Amino acid sequence: MRLAGQPEANGAMFWFPFRAGVRQAAGLPSLVLMASLIGVGGLTRDIGYPIWAGVLSTLLLWAGPAQVLLFGSLAAGASLPAIAVAVSLSSIRFFPMVVSILPLLRGPGVGTGRLLFGAHFVAVTAWTEGRRLLPSLPVEQRYPFFIGFSITVMAAATFATGAGYYLIAALPAAFAAALLFTTPMFFTLSLVAGSRTLADWAALGLGFALAPLATALVGQDFDLLVVGLVGGTLAYGIHRMRGVR
Amino acid sequence: MLAELEQASGGLWPYLVVIVIGFLPTEVWRVAGVLAGRNLDENSQVMVWVRMVATALVAGVVAKLLMSPSGALAVVPLWGRLGALAAGVAVYFVARRSVLAGLFAGEMVLIGVCLRGSQL
Repeated sequence: MRLAGQPEANGAMFWFPFRAGVRQAAGLPSLVLMASLIGVGGLTRDIGYPIWAGVLSTLLLWAGPAQVLLFGSLAAGASLPAIAVAVSLSSIRFFPMVVSILPLLRGPGVGTGRLLFGAHFVAVTAWTEGRRLLPSLPVEQRYPFFIGFSITVMAAATFATGAGYYLIAALPAAFAAALLFTTPMFFTLSLVAGSRTLADWAALGLGFALAPLATALVGQDFDLLVVGLVGGTLAYGIHRMRGVR
Repeated sequence: MLAELEQASGGLWPYLVVIVIGFLPTEVWRVAGVLAGRNLDENSQVMVWVRMVATALVAGVVAKLLMSPSGALAVVPLWGRLGALAAGVAVYFVARRSVLAGLFAGEMVLIGVCLRGSQL
């Protein structure tokens, strides 16, 4: 028997968790991303690019540090191929982040196409909030919740990028510095909040401590690759040693 | 050659740069993540390792942002940047694991260091 209300019921099954995701994003996560992306708008203006190039970079890159690197390197006059390589190396983190959040996004009716769409929104905020909130939701609600959350924070951040294009030059220096400090502070607190085991803490501490060393050894471009592989593997070793005991 | 390309593309050049030099090199890792992780078991050992690598990478990004800062943040001395970060984490725990309190405290310390520096 075909149920007359079926399509609507299916719609409700998507929009109910979607709206829950929107509500979850509407507070602190959106504010943090707005603060982070205001500075990117200012950088876009500094190099003489139109406002929509900055806005587009938030929609497409969705990676604050990579956007800062892109516009900062353009300002410094680096060659385009070199910038592309540096941007790509700075974004390697998305590979393990996407791989580790996929099991939480998979569900009935979520094929590769939808996963690719969802993966575009993966960045530190969606990754940490997703890993924190998704496990407690029913499997079929996870994907729509994640999309509702992600689209909301991206909309807020995109607006902030455009606003920053005009605002940043008018801000006092201390305030501008505080805005640029938002990303490292929030990334750190997100990692601290998500750390439960000794191995988690080791990955956090090693990643932080190894970075200056890696920069000195292999240079600005490949340092993060070394930090991720060496720090992550050492932390995994700690995980294995504690598991065996 | 790039200069000619820039000439030929006219006003579209900045958008081309954002897409080709920014978007594609970033997105390739997300697509690769989907393709590589589609069939991985969430409780496998590989997944634990991958999560550790991701955590170390994000921590590494934080360190790089603080060690070689851009724009107005570069004016704040290194001890001020690291001190503000430590203060933010400390307040996070004191305030019973509140990210908002930690973030606010870190920002306040940073602004304090900034204002003090400009008066000296």
